Amino acid sequence: MSDLAEFHDELRSVARDLLAPASPLVTGGEPGRVDLSQLAKAGWLGLDVPAAYGGSGATFAEVAVVLEEIGRSAAATPMLGAVLAVGALGSVEPSTARDQLLTAVAEGEVRATVAVAAGDEGLGARPGCAIERDGGSVRLSGRVRFVPDAPEAERVLVVADDPSSGPVLVEATPGVHVEVRPLPVVDATRSLGEVVATGAAVEPTRIWPLAAGLGPLADRAALAIAADAVGVAGAALDATVAYAAERRQFGRPIGSFQAVKHACADVTVGLTISRRLVADAVAAVAGGSPDVGVAVSMAKAHAVETAVAATGSALQLHGGIGYTWEHGLHVFVKRAALDRSLFGSPAAHRARLARRYGATAS
Amino acid sequence: MSAPESPADLEEFRAEVAAWCRAHVPAGWRSDQTGVPEADFVAFQKDWFQQLRGAGWAVPHWPAEWGGGMSVPRQVVLYQELAAHDAPRLVLAFVSIHHAASTLLVAGTDDQRARHLPAILDGEIWCQGFSEPEAGSDLASLRTTARRDGDRYVVNGQKLWASGARHADWCLLLARSDTDAPKRKGISYFLMDMRSPGVDVRPIRNALGDAHFCEVFLDDVEIPEANLVGPENAGWQVAQATLSAERGMTMLELAERLAAGFRWLVAECDRPGESGIRALDDPIVGDGLARFETELTGLRSVCRDLVERADAGEVGPADASIVKLYYSELLQRMTGFAAEVAGLDAHTKRAKPLSSGWESGAWVLDFIGSWEWTIPGGSSEIQRTIIGERGLGLPREPVLAEPGSGAS
Repeated sequence: MSDLAEFHDELRSVARDLLAPASPLVTGGEPGRVDLSQLAKAGWLGLDVPAAYGGSGATFAEVAVVLEEIGRSAAATPMLGAVLAVGALGSVEPSTARDQLLTAVAEGEVRATVAVAAGDEGLGARPGCAIERDGGSVRLSGRVRFVPDAPEAERVLVVADDPSSGPVLVEATPGVHVEVRPLPVVDATRSLGEVVATGAAVEPTRIWPLAAGLGPLADRAALAIAADAVGVAGAALDATVAYAAERRQFGRPIGSFQAVKHACADVTVGLTISRRLVADAVAAVAGGSPDVGVAVSMAKAHAVETAVAATGSALQLHGGIGYTWEHGLHVFVKRAALDRSLFGSPAAHRARLARRYGATAS
Repeated sequence: MSAPESPADLEEFRAEVAAWCRAHVPAGWRSDQTGVPEADFVAFQKDWFQQLRGAGWAVPHWPAEWGGGMSVPRQVVLYQELAAHDAPRLVLAFVSIHHAASTLLVAGTDDQRARHLPAILDGEIWCQGFSEPEAGSDLASLRTTARRDGDRYVVNGQKLWASGARHADWCLLLARSDTDAPKRKGISYFLMDMRSPGVDVRPIRNALGDAHFCEVFLDDVEIPEANLVGPENAGWQVAQATLSAERGMTMLELAERLAAGFRWLVAECDRPGESGIRALDDPIVGDGLARFETELTGLRSVCRDLVERADAGEVGPADASIVKLYYSELLQRMTGFAAEVAGLDAHTKRAKPLSSGWESGAWVLDFIGSWEWTIPGGSSEIQRTIIGERGLGLPREPVLAEPGSGAS
């Protein structure tokens, strides 16, 4: 086994132990919270941040290991917002203001997120916000819905269109530059909010051009969700296999019935494929490949469908007990369904793939 | 295993294979090999095998000492280029270079290897005599007997679905050598010379109208004990070990072929129909294609991963079943989709080129032919049971004793 594989195994094992108590299968169906200070202490917030900015200097491959384990526990954490913020700040040119904020996010001193369209419109579309330059002042306006971890964020990095240059990243403070309204959703393990900017003046030194456009941010977000979905699916499958081996009906374990066994086999096959697609996309992102969009769209489209299928199958095979609140399985079904819709539906990602087909492909 | 190769090495190899293909893939072989007599197909296959052998690419997956030794990344490149240049597939030699070779390498004696591996390179053709009329999915209930008589065995019974048996020189044979033992503990594994007296091969016309499947009747066929593979009565265990050993290797090539088939499908969807509309203009078609491309990408990745882990000795007990199940059902869904999208015109293609892949472009026939993957080699249902029991550790189905079955 390579050193990297050993490092990943260790990271995974530590994460699994830390997150296990937060699983709804343990808490009795309530969201289990792992707060920012715990994430910071574990060193997860700055995993792929250079050491010069308070991080570990690892890559997105290690971030993905943690994201999968968070999905496996379906824990309520502010990790996604931080992962997006680190990605956004890492993709703009260094400056004093940027470096300070990146360091603060990596060390868990500032709770941050990125306001970038989280629905299907986020795939290659223009940002929902814009800045307007008026002499020396710059004003931000627009609205972005379903921003991960926005309700608790101390900084929101708003992706905005600068008519003079293209997309930029704007550092905004809730209550000062933007309003944040919570958007409660069925899945209680995710905190989403609506970010509204109504023309407040923003600090010109805290506006950074996104030279590579929105694509890398949207891809990182979609892949983060795909990694989460693999964890969700894995947890659902493991719980189902354990239950099917133990639960007896008609005088034998239900897992000995082909109808049950084959359903578990189908989930296993789907998850095996999802894991490979996510691993390949993660390797492409971590390795800095220029065109990762295809691999990310494949991983996202496949993994979230696997998660919905795996959790749905788990709910069915657990029978009545799995439908109770206390069992906790419902949390995984809800999280899988939300993962499916966050940062591009499977259909939207496949539409992106399909645009490459044919002689007149775009 | 050779040292890790740089991307530049692989690209150089890719260019070498591509140049070779341009010089050697027979122009127009698809039309020339459509509707030809069986003898022409056999001659064409044997010639193509020798051309690949000449290039050193007939058995890249074998160990170096027997003429293979190619790294996995290089094999992937080789199969990609052969598929991209629409080279004929090694159909006739498939069992020889995969199942037979894997059996000999995993469980054969030195003498057996020395006798047969070079012969396979010289064109020796093998078939597989496993299934019987009463032993399909329940293969272990096979009834063909092998009675020991001094230094030989005398075999009687009937084998079914022996692909290519009409042209085979040798047969991988499972027969019951102890009729009193529990059913998985009384089977032996033999190498049977198809020219032995008492071997009678009768072709069976299949759903496509082809006749490559055969019945093989065995009437007092003598097999010398030197042709026993593994210990007497351990044939079931030998078969289990060799079946999973070869599965990843065969899939590496088939996955690249399926990917080439996908590209033809996209091209087909891009062509305007009589009304001037392309199938690709329908977003449902685009969605379906993107789904297949995603699944194919996952299949190729999982095949590479399986073969690499096989080299490292890290293959799980159900990994090969996962790949076989996924490939065969993906092939079925993709050819079914293609037949639907291609519409009525696809139904006018009533013969597919022999030597082509399972995705020949004669989509309706390809769709029907896809059941040749979901049924044989352990049906999809059997694979799901293996994944559930050996992969996930779920409890086995209780075994009901059948009268006279010797159930274990």
